[in-house]
Amino acid sequence: MNTSRLGTRTDAGDPGSARVPGGTPGATTPPSTRTGQRAAGSGRRPRWTEDRVVPYLLVLPAVLIVVLLRIVPLVMGANFSFTGDGDANGAWVGLDNYRTLWDDEVFRTAMKNVGLLLLALPVAVAIPGLLATFLFLKVPGYRLYRSVYFFPVVLSPVIIGAIFNVVLSFDGPANQLLEKVGIEPIDWLGDSTYAMFTVIGVHIWATFGMALVIFMAGFATVDQSLLDAARSDGANLRQTVWHVIIPELSQTIQFVFVTTMIGMLTGMFGLLYIMTGGGPGGATYLPELYIWTQQGQMNRPALASAASMVLFVLMLVVGFAQLRLLKRATKES
Amino acid sequence: MTAVTYEKAQRLYPGSTTPAVDALDLEIRDGEFMVLVGPSGCGKSTSLRMLAGLEEVTSGSIRIGDRDVTHLPPKDRDIAMVFQNYALYPHMTVAENMAFALKMAGVGKEERAARVKEAAALLDLDAYLDRKPKALSGGQRQRVAMGRAIVRQPQVFCMDEPLSNLDAKLRVSTRTQIAALQQRLGITTVYVTHDQVEAMTMGDRVAVLKDGVLQQVDTPLALYDKPANLFVAGFIGSPAMNLIEGELREGHAVVGGHEIPVDRAAAAAATGPVTLGVRPEAFRVVGEGQDGLPVKVTLVEELGADAYVYGTSGVEGTPSNVVVRVPGQVGHQKGSTIRVTTDPTAVHLFDNATGRRLNP
Repeated sequence: MNTSRLGTRTDAGDPGSARVPGGTPGATTPPSTRTGQRAAGSGRRPRWTEDRVVPYLLVLPAVLIVVLLRIVPLVMGANFSFTGDGDANGAWVGLDNYRTLWDDEVFRTAMKNVGLLLLALPVAVAIPGLLATFLFLKVPGYRLYRSVYFFPVVLSPVIIGAIFNVVLSFDGPANQLLEKVGIEPIDWLGDSTYAMFTVIGVHIWATFGMALVIFMAGFATVDQSLLDAARSDGANLRQTVWHVIIPELSQTIQFVFVTTMIGMLTGMFGLLYIMTGGGPGGATYLPELYIWTQQGQMNRPALASAASMVLFVLMLVVGFAQLRLLKRATKES
Repeated sequence: MTAVTYEKAQRLYPGSTTPAVDALDLEIRDGEFMVLVGPSGCGKSTSLRMLAGLEEVTSGSIRIGDRDVTHLPPKDRDIAMVFQNYALYPHMTVAENMAFALKMAGVGKEERAARVKEAAALLDLDAYLDRKPKALSGGQRQRVAMGRAIVRQPQVFCMDEPLSNLDAKLRVSTRTQIAALQQRLGITTVYVTHDQVEAMTMGDRVAVLKDGVLQQVDTPLALYDKPANLFVAGFIGSPAMNLIEGELREGHAVVGGHEIPVDRAAAAAATGPVTLGVRPEAFRVVGEGQDGLPVKVTLVEELGADAYVYGTSGVEGTPSNVVVRVPGQVGHQKGSTIRVTTDPTAVHLFDNATGRRLNP
């Protein structure tokens, strides 16, 4: 279907592009070019003039890339999620895969953990936002903090996971510190109550530097005289942040929310793999890890496709909802 | 009583050796419209921001009435500021913008609305109260910025080049509106501009600054008639005063062999080389055969009622450019040479070494 349609596009484009060399020399004298063209194409295909074909020709590569590399795989993936695995390979099974997901304890945990991620999202945005505010206000030593905060971003999740495996191990430095202040040691990664929070915490630590940089770029666009105006209007720091800075940064905040959410839903695989492997008892599964396990380990690619579609729809819904909500929340009525 | 007093007020930016504002002594009377004027970088905006509390005062003090506000935060100074780019909060409506300071001060909702309405009526903004700044023209935004200051009913208005973002025509009409409004409200106003025409037309008194140092404070006419030094002489007036270096000889100034009559008392006060200052309108064209400074006409700016003749004087030691105001429609030709002279009372004498005025 696709190929045949592309074929017609090229056919139609060819005569147009063939006409280009003929048109170019006359370009300096438009009237003669126009009459020349009209004479050449008279009767045959009067609608396909150079002016009309060229724009399509120019956007064609971009459209092709998007269609071939994004839309087609997406549609194929969606289609694939309705087929069977194993013996039923390729056969249409309807919503069977989605039913399997629904009944799978591990996938349900993964979805529950997505809920946890969403709850942690405001924290993951507030931390870099607050720190960027301090940097913007030039707290003493802000230059040092600026680079220190960004540092974890350049580390790979594998390295970060390895570091925190050591730091957070049961007899590791974190628990030794707690012991010193008289708190019982915590099994950060081995206890299913804490493990997910621990990994989320490490993920925020590892990635907030990027959000911080985006916030700082946003701050750079804040009109300094607005802050002066707020000062002489008698607003204190809290009021200035609330009434002036947050509305001014509205778009930045929305952007950080969405990118942070996407980062959480799609970028925690490395940490999970290194730190918990989905354990203990499947408590730290996220859709991503689940997809990988089903596809790579359990050899159920169709089921993995279904999980991917769920993740995709989830991100779409959450992303749009966020934008709607945030647009209202960060701008004053 | 809301006079404003700068007392040896100084602002030294960290890392800089010369102060941006150097020991400023300035007294602004109750209800007065004071204009601070000077070229960019002269410290006029910094002086204003020091009064508004947006800029630290390194040393000296600033008083509003009897209160020493030198180290008070802006909100405790009872001033309202109008910014050059208006600094309207983009996400708030006109009404919200105007009410913001009152809201921060804890003024009740009804009174806020009443005061905003009153100011809006005064500024002809009633129809726009629900609009966002984005949906306003430049002139309307400017009025909102004024309104935001007015609703606060402050003791002092601080205005930082509030007209420079308007087009030329609007600037002229708004100029008179602001001056009239200030007169009506009777609120002490400090107004910063780099435009000397604005300064002359709006100010009760004008303070001329240069390099952070106050040069002269006086009424516009006094600045024009008796500039205290060479800088003020050259800065105030458009077109600028002709400044010509000359020698004094027996009560006359001699410029390249041509005699120009000068004030005797001023000549007596001179100790060294001097500069003569002559306003374009103080020159008069003399006929053939009479002694006068020869000026070769390069351009005639015909304004109808009168005309400005721009020319070069062939005399050594004088500025190449001389401006002479002549009656309009006389038709001096480019390339021709005219001779000009003046009256002794119209010649300002300045000491070359100090730049100070020698006339009494």
